[in-house]
Amino acid sequence: MAEITINGNLRTEFGKGASRRDRRAGLVPAVIYGHGETPTHVSLPARELIAALKQSNVLLDVVVGGKTELTLPKSITKNPLTSQLEHIDLVLVRRGERVTVEVPVHTTGEHDRDGILEHVNNVITVEAEATSIPSFLTLDLTGMKAGLSLYAADVPLPAGTTLVSDPHMPVVHLSERATPSEDTAVAATPAETPAAEAPKA
Amino acid sequence: MLIPRKVKHRKQHHPKRGGKSKGGTTVSFGDFGIQALEPAYVTNRQIEAARIAMTRHIKRGGKVWINIYPDRPLTKKPAETRMGSGKGSPEWWIANVKPGRVMFEISGVAEEIATEAMTRAIHKLPMKCRVVRREEF
Repeated sequence: MAEITINGNLRTEFGKGASRRDRRAGLVPAVIYGHGETPTHVSLPARELIAALKQSNVLLDVVVGGKTELTLPKSITKNPLTSQLEHIDLVLVRRGERVTVEVPVHTTGEHDRDGILEHVNNVITVEAEATSIPSFLTLDLTGMKAGLSLYAADVPLPAGTTLVSDPHMPVVHLSERATPSEDTAVAATPAETPAAEAPKA
Repeated sequence: MLIPRKVKHRKQHHPKRGGKSKGGTTVSFGDFGIQALEPAYVTNRQIEAARIAMTRHIKRGGKVWINIYPDRPLTKKPAETRMGSGKGSPEWWIANVKPGRVMFEISGVAEEIATEAMTRAIHKLPMKCRVVRREEF
């Protein structure tokens, strides 16, 4: 996994006003915490951070005040409409330390064309060494028949990575293609006038 | 049509419309989705109309997910009624949708068909929306 170095500034003023000023200046407010250390509030350059976060579970070497901290993104807050980064939580990690992270599962291969692919769970939780977390896991769907599911246990893991999620957790399901019926797709209505059925407040 | 089977309170206050959606902002199950760009109250009739528009266009095959549920009642007083005499009777069931919410998802069809089906569904909805695709990173 790639390790990316980012230079940050220590934040001295807080609150929504200061955070908005930072965002207007092309910076992203962030907090670094973990290992019982006092949390450090920093601002990081948005452009470099967006480029770094193109792959999941990327290790960031954050340089603040001449000190370098090895961190892993824990929580990323984005604007759902503009995809602008609003805040990021970074957790301190040490080399050789094993961490529990969520890794996205990508699908490859041609499945049965009679089936409709449903992504039941997009990520699975694994435990891996902090410096060798896989960016994504690949699940091969070649020859998968309609009506079958593939589970977390079916996802091949790289060496040194162990599965934390329930092995029986479905990852993808290939449902059988059927003629859509307009009446069955949505739960049946119990009554035309629901208020009549509802208990009086 | 989607209607709650049982509610704790028959008449509620109007839901808050401020802010952005806190969750459900990405395509989770299917390949394409309809994302709200404005806040709106979406009624169960509008949800049903959008679903029918999509399922009729995709014909055989494809699967549609509805990620919102109309669980909030809105009341209305009868026409030509004087003010007072208590709150009106429940008239609509609505989902309080905030910007960023992916309301419908679709999979199992080609991109052109999915886009056209979703455009037809967007015409049935009371706010500006856009078609989004599944993101893999």
